[in-house]
Amino acid sequence: MLLDYDRLGWLRVALVGFTAAVAAFLLLPVVFIVLLSFGSSRWLAFPPPGWTLKWYQQLLADPTWIDAALTSARIAAMAAILAVVIGLFASFSLVRGEFRGRQVLRGLLLTPMVLPVVVFAIAIYAFFLRIGLAGTTVGFVIAHTILALPFAIIPITAALEGFDKSIEDAAIICGASPLQARLRITLPSIRIGIFSAAIFSFLASWDEVVVAIFMASPTLQTLPVKIWGSLRADLSPVVAAASSLLVGLTLCLMIVTALLRRKLSR
Amino acid sequence: MTRPFLSIRAVRKTFGAFVAVHDVTIDVPKGEFLTFLGPSGSGKSTTLYAIAGFQDPSSGDVLLEDRSLLSVPSHKRNIGMVFQRYTLFPHLSVAENVAFPLRVRRRPDGEVKRKVADMLALVRLENFADRHPGALSGGQQQRVALARALAYDPPILLMDEPLSALDKKLRQEIQAEIRRIHRETGVTILYVTHDQEEALHLSDRIALFREGRIEQIGTGEDLYLRPASEFVAGFIGNSNFLSAEHLQTADGASTIRLADGSIVTGVKTTTSFGQGQKVRMMVRPEAFRLTPGPTSAALAVEIVDTAFFGDRRRVVARTAGGDEIDVRPTSDAKEADSTAPSGQRIFFDPASAFLFPA
Amino acid sequence: MQGSSFRRSSVAGLPAGSGSALPALLLVGLFFIVPVVALLLRSVTDPEPGLQNYAALFGSGTYVRVFLNTFLVASVVTAVTILVAFPVAWMLAIMPPALGSIVFGIIILSMWTNLLTRTYAWMVLLQRTGVINRALMGLGIIHEPLPLINNLAGVTIGMVYIMLPFMILPLVGTLRAIDPMTLRAAALCGASPFEAFRRILLPLSLPGIAAGGLMVFVMSLGYFVTPALLGGTSNMMLAEMIAQTVQSLLNWGLGSAAAFVLLVVTMALYAIQLRLVGAKRAGGGI
Repeated sequence: MLLDYDRLGWLRVALVGFTAAVAAFLLLPVVFIVLLSFGSSRWLAFPPPGWTLKWYQQLLADPTWIDAALTSARIAAMAAILAVVIGLFASFSLVRGEFRGRQVLRGLLLTPMVLPVVVFAIAIYAFFLRIGLAGTTVGFVIAHTILALPFAIIPITAALEGFDKSIEDAAIICGASPLQARLRITLPSIRIGIFSAAIFSFLASWDEVVVAIFMASPTLQTLPVKIWGSLRADLSPVVAAASSLLVGLTLCLMIVTALLRRKLSR
Repeated sequence: MTRPFLSIRAVRKTFGAFVAVHDVTIDVPKGEFLTFLGPSGSGKSTTLYAIAGFQDPSSGDVLLEDRSLLSVPSHKRNIGMVFQRYTLFPHLSVAENVAFPLRVRRRPDGEVKRKVADMLALVRLENFADRHPGALSGGQQQRVALARALAYDPPILLMDEPLSALDKKLRQEIQAEIRRIHRETGVTILYVTHDQEEALHLSDRIALFREGRIEQIGTGEDLYLRPASEFVAGFIGNSNFLSAEHLQTADGASTIRLADGSIVTGVKTTTSFGQGQKVRMMVRPEAFRLTPGPTSAALAVEIVDTAFFGDRRRVVARTAGGDEIDVRPTSDAKEADSTAPSGQRIFFDPASAFLFPA
Repeated sequence: MQGSSFRRSSVAGLPAGSGSALPALLLVGLFFIVPVVALLLRSVTDPEPGLQNYAALFGSGTYVRVFLNTFLVASVVTAVTILVAFPVAWMLAIMPPALGSIVFGIIILSMWTNLLTRTYAWMVLLQRTGVINRALMGLGIIHEPLPLINNLAGVTIGMVYIMLPFMILPLVGTLRAIDPMTLRAAALCGASPFEAFRRILLPLSLPGIAAGGLMVFVMSLGYFVTPALLGGTSNMMLAEMIAQTVQSLLNWGLGSAAAFVLLVVTMALYAIQLRLVGAKRAGGGI
């Protein structure tokens, strides 16, 4: 009866209450930061003495914030595209391949997600210092593609495993060449997986802080590096404004994802 | 003699040391419904995949109207195929699924539309053209798959256990559909199944596979009434096997001694046995009678159980040697009512029994 | 069905079907394996060949304290996360979907929101004059502001916040896979709710708890951002120490040695997790 929602009795009241409290705990910082960004207190007093938009004005008037956001978007887009394309090819091999060591290969390609980022960060930083890629966009994109790759491979392999290979065989026997079958039948069938891969890889790069802190140069700064720098200096409400915009972006991304998933899986 | 339409010549397929198919040779005339029947792992599907081009045979050849198919890639063989699982393209509507083979062949739009309409009419799914596969039942999905496989008028249609994912009632329904479509289109069908009833119901001829070889090929009647081996007799229909000792044979009729010492004369045989050789006698359940006939032999048994099946009665009997016998008398079902005391006898016509080497 | 796949000959010299993994393998090999191995070599060659970096690492009370503190924080965070996540996952597994999807939405929103944003919020919330201290004082529960930031409490709150989704989501899967019938059967057998929980529900969800807990522990061990911002200097964690050693002290040898220690511990625990859940499910937090 413990798994029958309608038969839990008083336990249900307690557990639902606890769940609501945890949900509030998870929601608290997100809501708080948004409210704070409209508060007039320079010292982040809460509840704020008054409401204002001046932190947003300061944020949007500062070209370094805009630059950082654009840099982040550029790097994340490139890393996401690379990770999805490379991950797509790798996934076919991981799911369809018939060779020994397939599981080892899978483990290897997923390792960047498991290894503490700080280890990878100093390793790739030292390596890029030596070959002259430190502080360059190329270096950033390469490092972020590696970190994003597992986030691309996991949903794509999952989708590919759920896709019956016989369907591709059927397309071929119908007269489609193997390439045509993959492009016209297999890829559209696993599009939800590819779409998730794109979102996750983009976020993996867009939110990445640790590698970025090492790789950043005075002329090349991503948004998280800019926020990190501000946080270390002081708790300016401008950061709250920037953070609120990021929360808004996350919400948009969630809504777009939900809508697209519903449309695609119809 | 006319040239065979499809000719499978000494096809052999090995996976490492394992021989999946041993030199299978079959000629298929145009328009025939031929079934590859056999237990799983008997090589029937592997042979089908060699024809489809999913697996290259290790040796041998597959000829369609005298031209070898082996060097032709799957997508250019122009063969239709229905798979075991529903292989509809999930992101395309029913009509687009059926149109797919025509689109990749770059047929003009008008022709595609006409053909799709014809095909959906053939499988009686005209009203489902705009549905997506997810919204169809399993039986409907397989009918769409059938329409798709026939849309480009392939000379051969391969069907790989197409009904195995459906429940029994649906299976019978679609079997009738397949028979009708075969009649209406005249397409040559190669059909793989492990279900002997399905094979008997559908096929012109059946090739019974066992361990990569064809054990027997012929009409359903051939296989049922004239099984070439104990395996065929056991696989097609229901059968009872009794151990015996061969005494002598004259004019295709043998005399044997059963395990309980009784002598039976006039058992049909096609092989020659030595005197005293151990043999197995096969009797179909429906060949048993509960009352003696003019030429019948008797078997001393103990009746273990009787069950009523509506159109017939089933009796389970046990011989003195401990073998259980499945008895399904056809005409005198009423008599099975009388519960039999131990030591009762059942009867069969020796001419309807077969002898195989033990 | 046996071998319903194409078995055509593969690209010369490559095992069947491995060719399309080549770009990924090259990328990861060249820009992940090579740099990491080079870093590890540096720990025994910089500034001169030998094990002096490891001797320094394990010989100094400061560094040993960092190791111990890292394990302490990771353990506390994992334990708290499990305790908080289990009831939530339990409810999410059986709640009416309409209600559950709201909670799921909040979890996803929190998980997808920028890490720095979330940590920043906690910095403001937990500070001496922050909302939480003011609220507690306003309610008369405390009279002096509690030290909630730059110490173990701050790190724990911030880390549990970040790890919760990684624990809840896989655990919902584990709990949903349990047949409610088994618990109805337990009740009919005479088990009280407590007995049914202890003898049926908990043991059946233990694999999920272990796998999720291990993942949270591993992630916590190497976490950098949150401890660096919410923790204090007196309880520094390993990742922050590595970054500082390299970035501020420019002591690459020592930093590499510490990185190697972190790598070995992480990979060992990852291997255990793989055995627990199988390679396919590992890292299923996304």
